[in-house]
Amino acid sequence: MNNNQALISPVAVIAYSALSACGQGNKALYQALSENHSGLAPLELLNVPFKTYVGAITQPLQSLHPELIDCDTRNSRVALTALNDIDSGVRVAIEELKSKYGSQRIGVVIGTSTSGLYETEEAYSELLKTNKMRSDFHFVKQHAYQATARFLQVELGLCGVCYAVSTACSSGAKAIAAGQRLIASDVCDAVLVGGVDTLCRLTLRGFHSLDLVSENPCTPMDRNRQGLNIGEAAGLLVLEKCCSSNANNMKLLAVGESADAYHMSTPHPEGIGAISAMKNSLLMAGLSVDMLDYLNLHATATKINDRVESAAVYSIFADNVKCSGTKGLTGHTLGASGALETIITLLALQYQFIPGTHGLEELEVDCKCQVVKTPLHDQKLKIAMSNSFGFGGNNASVLVGL
Amino acid sequence: MNKPFFIKSFSVCCPDVELLGNIQLQVSDIDKTLIPVDMRRRTSMATRMAITAAKNACEQAAVETHNLPSVFASLGGEIQVTDSLCRSLGDDATLSPTWFLNSVHNTTAGYWGILNHCQAATTALSAADDTFAMGLLEVCVQLQSQGGNCLLVCYDELWPQYLAPPLGSFAFACALVISLEATGALGSISMPQINVNSAVTFSKEQMILSQSAPAAAVMPLLLALQNKNPSWVPLNINSPIWSSELTIF
Repeated sequence: MNNNQALISPVAVIAYSALSACGQGNKALYQALSENHSGLAPLELLNVPFKTYVGAITQPLQSLHPELIDCDTRNSRVALTALNDIDSGVRVAIEELKSKYGSQRIGVVIGTSTSGLYETEEAYSELLKTNKMRSDFHFVKQHAYQATARFLQVELGLCGVCYAVSTACSSGAKAIAAGQRLIASDVCDAVLVGGVDTLCRLTLRGFHSLDLVSENPCTPMDRNRQGLNIGEAAGLLVLEKCCSSNANNMKLLAVGESADAYHMSTPHPEGIGAISAMKNSLLMAGLSVDMLDYLNLHATATKINDRVESAAVYSIFADNVKCSGTKGLTGHTLGASGALETIITLLALQYQFIPGTHGLEELEVDCKCQVVKTPLHDQKLKIAMSNSFGFGGNNASVLVGL
Repeated sequence: MNKPFFIKSFSVCCPDVELLGNIQLQVSDIDKTLIPVDMRRRTSMATRMAITAAKNACEQAAVETHNLPSVFASLGGEIQVTDSLCRSLGDDATLSPTWFLNSVHNTTAGYWGILNHCQAATTALSAADDTFAMGLLEVCVQLQSQGGNCLLVCYDELWPQYLAPPLGSFAFACALVISLEATGALGSISMPQINVNSAVTFSKEQMILSQSAPAAAVMPLLLALQNKNPSWVPLNINSPIWSSELTIF
């Protein structure tokens, strides 16, 4: 039994919705995870001067209401499509919470790394030719980081807290942390949190300039891994303060956060920041290391991330926890990954299975952790964690429970 | 009842002090010596302004920076670097990896952590015109759940004026050290909330500056602190107005 006291109150997860290369909605994502079926494919959406695979969203995206056309970006269309996915029920949940608490008491905090940059790049290509910015380019409503959060707020008729968290690849996880704190502090009764990021040239070419992009489908935690594949996704979660009506919902227990204070792109060689994020999440939730049943790794499939992360995980949990990395299915969805992979972790609890690590054949030589290659069903999972580590040494570990 | 949040110190970095006009606010220019040469070469105006304000505020508050959680709030963040990268997408040459790394919104947060060997949690957020209000809210909410001290830095550098004029025509950074402990505090504020109690409003000059740099929305709060004028202070310029009740010590 656990005798430690939680340092932050858990909050209930009322609904969640994922849209990624693994399809639209939680059922499609569960199916891809359960069959270990990858959504990675050669890049077609845009032109870059090299070959790579990406996790692109392939189904049609919903169009914005004409009144909100100034907010129209691939990012906001992806967010809208995830919001309106009927089976996931995120929109209905928000409508119900609105009548329960009022529109001012429901916050919106969305993580993103590049927001509407895809459209900005197109606007710049015209700017370079004509020396004029096109008239339908709205920097604040399209490009700026809070654009998607603000769009969702207006679309849902909410009028309380609204901001974006942008800490590179930990953005989505940090937005979830902010949502929990807003509820714990009684500033909000419920918060729509998550992460949304879409493919763009700058990110693809930027990661390529750092020699981190694989030409082939990525192979997380494999000893022959050659880098990452960029993906795009929306992961939206509705958090509500705990009450009798949500007693049976899964809970967000805590998010542990830390900084490496080491280097802008390279993780601390001993994984000090990663260790501290994982330990902080357990400490804040009042849990001991033996209580974790599953860990969704950040596992980007870059040489250094996977080596450092496996050492960090081993130093806390030894080989006692089943781990897997799911970026071989979805690609690295950057600012959305923390939210998308928290949803994957919730699906693991909901369906009592452990996702596989698509692409993994021979485990990284130095990795002593229990990395699961193919999905394991009929598990008994109660508590699970999802890791996200970003540029600038910005780390977050999300802890969820049944 | 919410606990009050104690303001231990504040500092403003504003490279073009003439733009402040008649606003009597103590400000400093960018202090390059605060950043070691190796790191300085890679940093933008945004990061240098933010670090100047942050260092000065931490020094005044006499807080340890190596374990200080921080919130960095900015509308555009590293917009000059992003602008250069967008311009260089026109040809197939490899992008500058340093530029790419320095284009993320948490660039300043990353450099601040490295500079101070600080492994405490740090975040980077953005909320258009409400960036200061939401940054302050995030700090108060963090303090309420975690206690201790927290650094807030709100900043925006000069932007190309074809993006969203007049945004980015005024470069401004402010930093505040806020705490749950009262010792040595200049005053305290209540948890930011949406209300209509704001007796103090933005002067015309403050409004124009805040429309050019969301961080300048800190001005009513700082001027009330400086002039020892306890009041409800507005934290943003557009409805709904977020405000906090300021108490002076």
